[in-house]
Parts: sequence; C-alpha cells; structure tokens
Amino acid sequence: MTAIASDQDTGQKKAPKIQISVLSWLRENLFSTWYNVVFTVIGIYIVYAVITALWDWGFVNAVWEAKDRRDCFNINKARGQPPGACWAGVTTWMTNFMYGRYPRTELWRIDLGGILLAIWMAPIWLPRVKGKIIIAFSVVFLYPFLAGYLFSGGERGVFMQVMVSAAIVMLTAIVVHSLISLITGRTLPALLVSALGLAALSEKMQRNALLALAALAFALVFWWQSGWLVPEVNWVNWGGLFLTLVISGIGIAFALPGGITLALGRRSKLPVVRVLSTGFIEIFRSVPLITVLFMATTMFPLFLPEGFILNKLVQVIVAVCLFNACYMAETVRAGLQAIPKGQYEAAHAMGLGYWQMMGFVVMPQALKYMIPNIVGSFIGLLKDTTLVSIIGLFDFLSMLRAVSQDVPWRGLHYEPIMFGAVVFFILCASMSKYSRHLEIKLGGGANR
Amino acid sequence: MATADRAAPRKGSGGGLGFLYDERVRSVVYQVICAGVFGWLVWYLFTNTSRNLDARGMSSGFGFLFTTAGFNTDFSLIPYAAGGTYLRVFVVGILNTLLVSVLSIIATTILGFVIGVLRLSSNWLIARLALAYVEIIRNVPLLLQIVFWYVGVFALLPRVKQSIGVLDISFLNNRGMFMPAPVFGDLFWATVVAFFLAIVIAVGIKRWARRRQELTGQQFPVFIVSLAIYVFLPLIVFFARGSPLTWDVPLLQGFNFQGGMRLPPAFLALFVALSIYHASHLAEAVRAGILSVSKGQTEAASSLGLPPGKTMKLIIIPQAMRAIVPPLISNCMNVVKNSSLAVAIGYSDIVALFMQTALNQSGYAIEIVAMTMGFYFVISVSISAVLNVYNKRVQIKER
Repeated sequence: MTAIASDQDTGQKKAPKIQISVLSWLRENLFSTWYNVVFTVIGIYIVYAVITALWDWGFVNAVWEAKDRRDCFNINKARGQPPGACWAGVTTWMTNFMYGRYPRTELWRIDLGGILLAIWMAPIWLPRVKGKIIIAFSVVFLYPFLAGYLFSGGERGVFMQVMVSAAIVMLTAIVVHSLISLITGRTLPALLVSALGLAALSEKMQRNALLALAALAFALVFWWQSGWLVPEVNWVNWGGLFLTLVISGIGIAFALPGGITLALGRRSKLPVVRVLSTGFIEIFRSVPLITVLFMATTMFPLFLPEGFILNKLVQVIVAVCLFNACYMAETVRAGLQAIPKGQYEAAHAMGLGYWQMMGFVVMPQALKYMIPNIVGSFIGLLKDTTLVSIIGLFDFLSMLRAVSQDVPWRGLHYEPIMFGAVVFFILCASMSKYSRHLEIKLGGGANR
Repeated sequence: MATADRAAPRKGSGGGLGFLYDERVRSVVYQVICAGVFGWLVWYLFTNTSRNLDARGMSSGFGFLFTTAGFNTDFSLIPYAAGGTYLRVFVVGILNTLLVSVLSIIATTILGFVIGVLRLSSNWLIARLALAYVEIIRNVPLLLQIVFWYVGVFALLPRVKQSIGVLDISFLNNRGMFMPAPVFGDLFWATVVAFFLAIVIAVGIKRWARRRQELTGQQFPVFIVSLAIYVFLPLIVFFARGSPLTWDVPLLQGFNFQGGMRLPPAFLALFVALSIYHASHLAEAVRAGILSVSKGQTEAASSLGLPPGKTMKLIIIPQAMRAIVPPLISNCMNVVKNSSLAVAIGYSDIVALFMQTALNQSGYAIEIVAMTMGFYFVISVSISAVLNVYNKRVQIKER
C-alpha cells in the first residue's frame, strides 16, 4: 500500500538521458545535408573574416596614444603596420563625449547627480527593503528637482529651495531606511517609534510624531541648503552622453504616466474624451519624430505669449515627452486589451469605482503583460534621442560627429562612430536583457 | 450595512449635492470640462499665434507656395532649378521621400524574410549569425548607422577618375552612383499595355483553374503557365514593335560623367542604412510568424500525405502570413517615417528640402509644418487602410 508508486514498483524505467557526442552534435547541427555543409563553410568564413578584420583594425594595429591623426599614421608606419584604429582621438575626446561643453571644473556635479540617482534607486532592487512604491514615486517626482538644480545651478527661488530640501530629506530617509532594513529587517518608522519610546501611543499619535520629526528634518535641511550655491551653467553647455541621458530620462519618466492617461482616455466610455485622446495619439504616431522636433523649435515660440521665451532644450524635451507618451499609450492599450473582460466585471461587482478598478485590479495585471513592450519603447526612446543632434543640440551623436571637424583629428570618422555604437549597444542590450529577466521573474500568470 | 449606506447616494436622493454621484451627470460634467479645456487651449494658442505673427510682421496663408524659391537641390526626379515655386519644391521633396522609401521597402522586405528564415535554420552557425545580425543592428540607433554609411562609406569612395565600375555601365564614386538611364521609344507604351493584359489573363486562368479543380478535381499548372504569360507576352510585343527601348549609359567626359542617371551618396547611405535596420525588425516578425503556426499543422499535413514542399506552400506560409503581414505593413510605415532622417546627411527629402530649407528661406512656419505633417499623415492613414482591408480578408472565419 505505498502511497506513491515509484519506478521499482511499476517496473517502468525513466527515459534514458540522450547522450550526444561532440561529433554527432556537429553532424546534426552543422553538416546534416550537403547545403548545410556549404552554409557552414560560408558562415565560418564570414565569422573569420569579420573577427580578424575587426581584431587587426581595433587592437593589433591600433594606436592608443598620439597627439593627432597624422601622428597615428606615422606610428603605424614606424611599426611597419597598415593603418589601424586611432583610438587616441577617442580617448582625447572622451570628456567631450560624456559631458559635452560642460565647464570642466563643474563635472563633479554631473557625477554626483548620477551617483545620487543610483543610491536613490538601489533599494528598489534590494529584496529586504519595504516601501518600494514610495521610493519609486519619489525618484520620479523629487529627484528631477535635485538633479535639475545640481546640473543648472545658479540662484534658486523659494519653490526650488523647498523641492531641493524635500529631495534631500527623502534621499536621506531612504538611505537610512534601507540600511536599517538590511541590518535589522525593520522599517525606519518602526525603529524610530520604538527608539523614541512612542510604542505606547495610539497609531494616529505615532504618525503625527513622525510627521513632526520629518518637518523638523526638513527645516534643518532648508536652513542648511540656503547657505550654499553652485555656479550657474547655461543649458547651451550641456552635451554629450549626459544630455542624451537627461532627455531620454525625462522622456521615460513622463512617457509612462502620460501614456497611461492617454490610453485610459482612448478606452474611455465618454465620447469627447475618447475622440480627443484618439486624435492626439494618431496624429503624433503618424508623423516622424524629426518633424515633431522641427515643429517644436519653429512653432512653440509662436504659440506662447509674447515675451515668454522657452529655451530650445525645454522645447525639445516637451516634444520628446508628447511623442513618446503617444507611443506608450498604444503599448498600454494593448496591455489593457489583454485583460479579460471578467476582471473588469468582477471589479464592478465588488463595487469598486473606476479609479479603484483601474488602480487595484486592471493596471497591476496589465503592466506585467506590458513589460517587454514598455522596455522596448524605452529602448526606442533612448535611440531616438540621437535625433536632437539634427536640430542643433550637442548630444552624444553630435559630439561623435564633431571629432572629424576638430583640426588635429580631421577626418577621424570610424573610431568615434564605433565607440558610440558600442556604448548604445551596451545600454540598449542590457535594458532588453533586463526586461527578459523581469518577464520571467514576474511571469505574468502565464506560466501557471 | 455599510454597502447599503454607500450605495444610497448613487440614486441621487441623498441631499443637495447627491446628483453629483449620478453617473450620467458625472459623465456629462467630465466631458464638458474636457471639451472646455481643449477649446480654451485652441483659442489660447490661436490668439497667441496671431498676435505673435502681427508683432513680427509675418504674413500667413498658402500664397507663398506660388512664389519662387531661391535655392537649388542636388537631386530631383522631376526637372527643377532654382527659381521654381515652393509648390514644386514640395513635390520634389515628396517624390524624393517616396523614391528612397519604396526602394528601401523592397530591399528590407527581401532581406528581412531571408534573415528571418535563417534565424530558424537547422544549421546552428547560420542561426547564430542571423541572431547576431538582428541583435547588433537593433540595438544601435538608426541615425548613427545612417551617419556611419554616409561619412564612413559613401563619402569616402574614390574620386570620379578612379570610379569603381560595375560591368563598365555603372560607376560608383564620391559623387554617387552613375547608372544607365532607360530611354523609352515612341511605341514603348504597347509593352506596358501587354504587361497589364498579361496580369488580367493570369488572374483569369487562376480563376478558371480553381473552378475546374473544384468541379473535376483535376489540377492545372497555374504557376508555370502564368509565369510564361508574364514573361513572353510583353517580350513578344516589345520585339514586334521593334524594341523601342535604349539605354543612356554614363560616359566619363573630363571631370565628370555625362548621361545616365545619378544617385547621390546621401541617397545610397540612407537606402542601405534603412534597408539593413528595418530588415532586423522584420526578421523578428517573420520568425515569430513562422513559429506561430503550430507543429500540429505540419504533422497533420504530412499525415495527409502532403510532401514537405507542398506543406510549406499550402499549409505553413498562408497561416504564417496572417501573423507576418501586419508587422510587415507597419514596418513599411516606419521606413517611410525614418526616411526623414535624411536631413542629417543632406539628402533632399521632404523634411530636408521643405521643412528645413524652404522654411528657413520663406519663414511660413505654420503652413510648412502643417503641409509636411499632413503628407506623413496621409501616407500613414492610407497604409493603415490597406492593413485593415487585409486583416478583414484573412481573419479566421470562426463558425
């Protein structure tokens, strides 16, 4: 009476493991038929030719240190080699590639901005930390003010002072909270309550006490931050990969909420809302981004009241945000359509209102379906940001193209473009790799 | 009875403001607010714009289209010289955009299908190579690739004197590609008519063959016969009319080629980059389409005794096309839209010629932006109309 029939009981054997030798694998996958043999030979030749050519050009014959392009040729000649890659030009221009014409003494501000963003977002990937949604929202809504001030500098108004102080308080709280969570597994509020001996108080009183504490911290930071000032850097000097990431970062941060709003508008039961959203989405989706950028730079100055001048960077960012919100809207709509009608009906039957139904039932499921496409849109956005070079911003691509106009490096085309291609490849490929990982991790309920 | 309490105000009887919870009232209020905000925005932008135009002393209206444009273009399909009207500039731009788009769409479709099928090859190495192609090309911005092909390849070709000749009739150099141009004789129209006649006959044969097969079960070699009609009917007419077609071959005279037709380097760079980039996207769609046909279909076909070739032609491809055609058509749309990146390398497409040069020269920003966007909008609407018709036709008829 064994509960579980094992192999011995039934006399059945497990299927034998298939053993494949190297030779039979080769025969199966590379040389199965005569035309596969031909294909394989051609393939091996292509791989060999491409890899040896790139290897010789990029490493064997490459020159890493030289003072100009002529010097590169001379070094190759002295070594008795054919001319190879002149990486010296790329390394000389590296700071320009990364930061554009940002003042060299102020580069630490960009680095600091990047480091702060990494610190701010790191807890989202730490499994033991709670309150990830608050952290994510604070990144989207508070970090831009802190970073914006760090990057542009200058005098700041009361509003900016308040937002910068709030951002600093939030960042400090998140860092302390994450450290506490990692070490003790408790949250920052819980630890504060017990440390201050408030555990006996009612929940409401505890919350009030914590809020008072936050206000105190805010006041302290506000007083402290009013004492320092960083010099102003005009947006004209922003450039390089930094500018590309700023534009695409703002675009990404805006595209998702904007796209969700437009998609809900398009699926709305209210005809006016639906028609307006659909028209907006379809018009922006049917034209190329470059025409939207041209429209922004030529028509925004006409649209705005007299004397109100928007700088080109802001025009471009507004255009990129609107454009990508429309693309994101279609991605979100596809995700919403994948949710079975029963889910909507069940939410209604529970007595949930529209926003509760969307926020608690539909969106969490739809977002899971959408992850690959959302990340795909983000990658597209990052790649599309190179278009701002056409309308005269000094982004990464225009810096790459500028090398060949620089007198010592005149005519140096391949090396900067290769470098740029590798950078974009690493950025985009790692994003898509991560989205595949997320897709598997979240599962979307499809793997059950 | 919490639920009953919450449900009560919805009926609209819960006091003075209760009607606010009526769903119909709410929807009307929301829509009025939306329409009001939208109307206000339009009015606001309109008044600002007209005030700004007045302040700058700029005129508006489409009258400028008939004034002369004072600039030349280096490439155009219809005769154009400095001094033509802005309307003609607009047409030149549209034709140039359509030329590069159509050629790139043809090339990208062929390349995309080839790479997509290679992705599924049983040959491990070939499948991996196709994967590498797709991954590398997809993850590098198109504009960077266009710039690479332009400054890195086509602008660095040898000078006219050292042109790379192809069979001594086509020449590639840093001024572009010089090719023989067809010169049509007087009676060439008869060949064209014969070709269209061949199409009509072939369609007729196909219908007749299908009806015969349904009635008698006998098959007719439709493909071979119609191919013969397509080839021979125009050829016979062509030679019967005394071959009214000659070629104008480019000849090196002095420092440049005379005769033939020329495609500028920017065109070549744009064409190559667009074809390669979009082929990588199409390849993934082709692969997904073929994979979407379940294995049971292949098995069922072979259990019916169909040979592999017929299985592919009659069972797999028709079903795979249902999944491939929608992305294929949106890919065509993207090629048209991305051809606007021509402006980065100076190919005279509609954006570079009309939205940039003509706008800077004339200053009619609103009209020019509206016309350019209108052109893309019309193209997009017509392409999606084609897609909708196709989708209706191939949709699985569920019973």
